[in-house]
Amino acid sequence: MRFEVLKAALKDGAAARVGRLAFAGRTPIDTPNFLGVTSRGALPHVTPDNVDKHLATTGAFMALEDFIERPQQYLKRIPPIYATPTTKKHSTRLHSFTALPQSVTTVLNTRRIPAVPSPMGNTNASVSVFTSTGFQALTTKEYLSAVQTLRPDIAIPPADLTNSPITPNSKRALRMAERTDEWVVEWFSELSESSSPPTTFAPILPISYSIQWEYVSRLAEDYLPTAQLSGLAIHDPDLLPDLAEHCAPLLPLPRLSLADPRTPHHILRQIALGIDLFALPFINTISDAGLALSFTFPPPPAPSPENTTAPGPQPLAVDLSLPQHAASLAPLTPIRTCPCYACTAHHAAYVHHLLAAREMLGWTLLQLHNHAVVAAFFAGVRDTLAQGGPEAFEAAARQFALAYEPEFAEGVGERPRARGYQYKSVGGGEGKRNKPAWGKLDGEGAEGAQAGEKGAEV
Amino acid sequence: MASNRTFTSPALAFELVARCSVTRARASILTLPHGTVNLPIFMPVATQASLKGLTPEQLEGTGCRLCLNNTYHLGLKPGQEVLDAVGGAHKLQGWNHNILTDSGGFQMVSLLKLANITEEGVRFLSPHDGSPMLLTPEHSMSLQNSIGSDIMMQLDDVLVTTSPDKARMREAMERSVRWLDRCIAAHKNPDTQNLFCIIQGGLDLDMRRECCREMLARDTPGIAIGGLSGGEAKDDFCRVVAACTELLPDLKPRYVMGIGYPEDLVVSVALGADMFDCVWPTRTARFGNAITKHGVLNMKREMYAADFGPIEEGCGCQCCRPIEEDGAMGITRAFVHHNAAKETVAAHLLTLHNVWYQLNLMRQAREAIIEDRFPAFVKEFFGNLYADRSSYPSWAVDALKGVGIDLLAT
Ligand SMILES: [Zn+2]
Ligand SMILES: [Zn+2]
Repeated sequence: MRFEVLKAALKDGAAARVGRLAFAGRTPIDTPNFLGVTSRGALPHVTPDNVDKHLATTGAFMALEDFIERPQQYLKRIPPIYATPTTKKHSTRLHSFTALPQSVTTVLNTRRIPAVPSPMGNTNASVSVFTSTGFQALTTKEYLSAVQTLRPDIAIPPADLTNSPITPNSKRALRMAERTDEWVVEWFSELSESSSPPTTFAPILPISYSIQWEYVSRLAEDYLPTAQLSGLAIHDPDLLPDLAEHCAPLLPLPRLSLADPRTPHHILRQIALGIDLFALPFINTISDAGLALSFTFPPPPAPSPENTTAPGPQPLAVDLSLPQHAASLAPLTPIRTCPCYACTAHHAAYVHHLLAAREMLGWTLLQLHNHAVVAAFFAGVRDTLAQGGPEAFEAAARQFALAYEPEFAEGVGERPRARGYQYKSVGGGEGKRNKPAWGKLDGEGAEGAQAGEKGAEV
Repeated sequence: MASNRTFTSPALAFELVARCSVTRARASILTLPHGTVNLPIFMPVATQASLKGLTPEQLEGTGCRLCLNNTYHLGLKPGQEVLDAVGGAHKLQGWNHNILTDSGGFQMVSLLKLANITEEGVRFLSPHDGSPMLLTPEHSMSLQNSIGSDIMMQLDDVLVTTSPDKARMREAMERSVRWLDRCIAAHKNPDTQNLFCIIQGGLDLDMRRECCREMLARDTPGIAIGGLSGGEAKDDFCRVVAACTELLPDLKPRYVMGIGYPEDLVVSVALGADMFDCVWPTRTARFGNAITKHGVLNMKREMYAADFGPIEEGCGCQCCRPIEEDGAMGITRAFVHHNAAKETVAAHLLTLHNVWYQLNLMRQAREAIIEDRFPAFVKEFFGNLYADRSSYPSWAVDALKGVGIDLLAT
């Protein structure tokens, strides 16, 4: 791995910066930038050929918990992904199993983001993870061995997290820091034998700096000089000022945010704090809600003060389920220049129809569009930083805050058929949200029966 | 207008390229308003103007140049008004190749329990609000004109072939002929859209023949054999197809509606049919099933969890071709197994594979016909599908024997 900071603020400490993260054989990632968040190794609704052809996304976030379920009848089976043969074109098991294009940089974590909280909790030697067959313990040793087998470009060591919105009390927080510290020590000591150790981004916990300072100092003192530590995986970007103040040697490392920013406003704030790379689960959620992102950076110029008919803040996304899109042959959103496949080969009316008809292609097209909008947003951020420096970025970010509404609308459309055990504990269940489909008189369960299948497929 | 090899009508040209010297199989070229397609052909069903998660670009990548839309569904969503406003179904779905639409009648009968057929049309209750609605031949034509399909189907009076009511069957057949006349009269764009008739008559071969004669007298540019795939015995199905193709002119396309099992396609080609459609290949993909030359494999079975081979060895689809080849994805059975019923991507991948399989099966049949080795192709096909000859289905053996292929001979 090679990370270059191309342009940073002159002031001391952590702040917005432009950089480039490069892995041999992968498309270099210009930062600030984002990773697509995969589910079970797939970018939701997007087949690998479309990832290759139609997404500018150059990185993929993956969770080991998506690959290691133990089906009831086959409790002893070894996760198949560990045995995947590699090929010249798919030179790592992770790429080979998921068929992701070789150009895509992979990041492996124990858990998804957001992670479903476990009722069992972690132990001294294991993280409790949620698979398609339920909660199970993933030992730190198994995870370490998985990382060496699968060879992600970036590996994030296990962190002791509660995955709960409730702030842990200081006793629990201290244990989180101590356990993560022990696990990271174990991680680097086991890997010191490895001939090609993975690129490691160590977790920075979502607890105050004063509680985890020993752990963070160890990272800086023990693993930075040896070049074993290559980056930081940050669960709470608000710790960055403390990090800058107390642990300046860590500053040149690339910083990946796992803090799940909900909107582009949150992203801009984290960029200003010094985040280089984001895992952005909200893009998938927005697509499932039938929303097409419609923001740009820098934002459109503010209307002149004398223009009294000026519109207020614009929505961050267009709800394509709304009836006004039914016959619109325009691109999906007011971003008329969106270069994505959905906006160039199709139009709003088609996506509206697909959402109304609950056709899966609707969500595919929204994924292609939404990833393209976020990619263009980050390109705009980089250009602004590169050309105008942090002042221009801050000015444009202030303008962005005025130009767009603070949150996403909910989206009136029905979500895709509940396809994920992954979602059952988050978001309150799609089953209730969606009305039953009409006209299913011929029975979905008539598997393989051809009789009565003439004609139509619902 | 017809020469001895080609037939042209305002919106269609049919050229007979080759004929099997043993069976009734034919290879031909059908030119439609949105381009040329080679027959025999399998047409995937994009019911609601979308083929189950595939982008039109991906569908094009399978080699598909003619797919189905369903009139009944498009009439509900997006509705005729929107279809008119956007300029038809090709524009709606960004598909610059051909579209065939059904009349909408079959869906009413099969999806809606309360459909009631009178001379005027099909009466049913709106799935939106339960209000009574009526689909007439005129309304079906009007909808299909708004859709702008390259091939439209007449509204017919569909009855399950297994119905024991002979009088009702005759009534349905005769009414279908009368409805064809009303469809022809109501069709607004005969220069840009083709209207095909549908031969009815249940399993009664004489009634089928009578229907053929009546329909042929109306001289539509193409002919469909309807009312099959409703649960009749396969022997009966083959007898009906054979009885109809015997009477049909050489220089018009023949479409057997609603069939899609690979055996059914191969046998029907041998019996002289050219065009087929069915939702089975795409529906079964969503249940985790892959169609292969050795039969249907369910990727959800544990035996595929660590199977790193392609979905089908030797398959030329984008999923299965080796990753080292250009544009290939290098999808393994293990990956499909991993995501079957869990991520939509697995269904999309199997849909891509299954559609490609069906199209390729017809491409191979066509090549075999042109090279006059179709009987050998049929034997190889059944040899791959079944472990031994004793398990060949007797309906297929009998039907093929009727056109000169003895599957059981060595
Ligand atoms: Zn777009
Ligand atoms: Zn294939």
